[in-house]
Amino acid sequence: MNDSQINQEQILDALRVVIDPDLHRDIVALGFVKELKVRNNRVSFHLELTTPACPVKDELREQAEDAVRKLPGIEAVEVTLSAQVRSHGPTGQNIIPGIKNVIPVGSGKGGVGKSTVSANLAVALAETGASVGLMDADVYGPSIPTILGINDQPRSGGKGMLPVEAHGVKVISAGFFVKPDQAVVWRGPMLAKMIEQFLGQVEWGELDYLVVDLPPGTGDVQLTLCQRIPLTGALIVTTPQPVAVNIAEKAIIMFNQLKCPLLGVVENMSYWESRTTGEREFIFGSGGADRIAEKWEVPVLGKIPLATTVRESSDSGTPIVLDEAGSPAAVAFVDTAKSLAAQISIRNIRAESEGLVSINF
Amino acid sequence: MEFSTPQELKPISINRVNEYDVKINWKNGMEVIYPARRLRMECPCAVCVDELTGVRRLQENMVAEDVHPAGIDPVGHYAIQIHFSDGHNTGIYTWEKLVDLGKKLTGNT
Repeated sequence: MNDSQINQEQILDALRVVIDPDLHRDIVALGFVKELKVRNNRVSFHLELTTPACPVKDELREQAEDAVRKLPGIEAVEVTLSAQVRSHGPTGQNIIPGIKNVIPVGSGKGGVGKSTVSANLAVALAETGASVGLMDADVYGPSIPTILGINDQPRSGGKGMLPVEAHGVKVISAGFFVKPDQAVVWRGPMLAKMIEQFLGQVEWGELDYLVVDLPPGTGDVQLTLCQRIPLTGALIVTTPQPVAVNIAEKAIIMFNQLKCPLLGVVENMSYWESRTTGEREFIFGSGGADRIAEKWEVPVLGKIPLATTVRESSDSGTPIVLDEAGSPAAVAFVDTAKSLAAQISIRNIRAESEGLVSINF
Repeated sequence: MEFSTPQELKPISINRVNEYDVKINWKNGMEVIYPARRLRMECPCAVCVDELTGVRRLQENMVAEDVHPAGIDPVGHYAIQIHFSDGHNTGIYTWEKLVDLGKKLTGNT
């Protein structure tokens, strides 16, 4: 037995049967296996996933463990998990170098719960251990400070402004700079300037994900964001009824025109579930996100139920993923955040293999 | 030039060929050399093209013979911004536009 000591190659070969279901490649080819150590038929290694919010991380660990255990003579297998979020490769002009992924959250229509979705997804991603920022670029109705219960103002740091930290998320909001009894009545160039300051003059530090809560519609803020920085991909929020879906499609068309990829659709206020009978009522109709998904070939990342508690927690300043963790709406948000992280990994792995435009001029 | 899928619409590299002209290597293997002055004449910005009618305002006699790109920046995922030697830099040259121009330049439609 001692003569047939297992070597590293044999273990890597065995691990090649473990396929990441989202990335469709084996974990060895993806470079997930790190610090592989073999001593006296005891094996230990690190699985470095592409996001701490990986929806299948436990399955991957189990499969990897099983695969190695099947080798003859193995006495013990120890697998540790870690994550290194892949960066969306910038094409050069990156004015925010520490930020790996920028994800704008858009909708065509207002009032679909875009800010509630942005805030809960940001907090859910941060809960998994990722470093997350949230930029509230909704100049007309900045609601992130209310939803996250922020009363502080950003302080100035060495090079620029320091974001305010709330529930593990670094936040900058247009609301910090406009008094509640004032309204933003600005022309386009002013909006563009604000976005550029949020990108260039805020000390975000190192971020895995920067979620950007956009104003509704297809205007100057969206345009500036798409033109100034290479975005990982956009998330579209809609409600189920046709009037919202039709307008959400306009946002999709805008992102397509600006060559910003789409990561997926989230259907908010999807249904109402009775607490007593568990029966679901589709107050705003159903199938809105599915129709978008089919027509534009993007995944539905989640369906969030209507719940009084979502509204209450947003108004009270603790998002529902923390305020009522385990409730149906909170679970829906957490699952959506994981699907989003998976889509981002898929896109970045694909971009890595496609390569970037190199400009030498 | 065949550009069948949107993925092929992306350039791999954008380089200088000489003091003036720009060379773009496209994903489908094609290589196009864009003469400097032609790029300036094709500027799609609102100063050079009437926004409502689409009629080109920029005339040949308004552009110096030796105009050339001094720098190129990427714009998001979909275009480049060219800083010309005459100070003009408001045009956004999308991959589509550059592909169309490339087709004209190589006589391939």
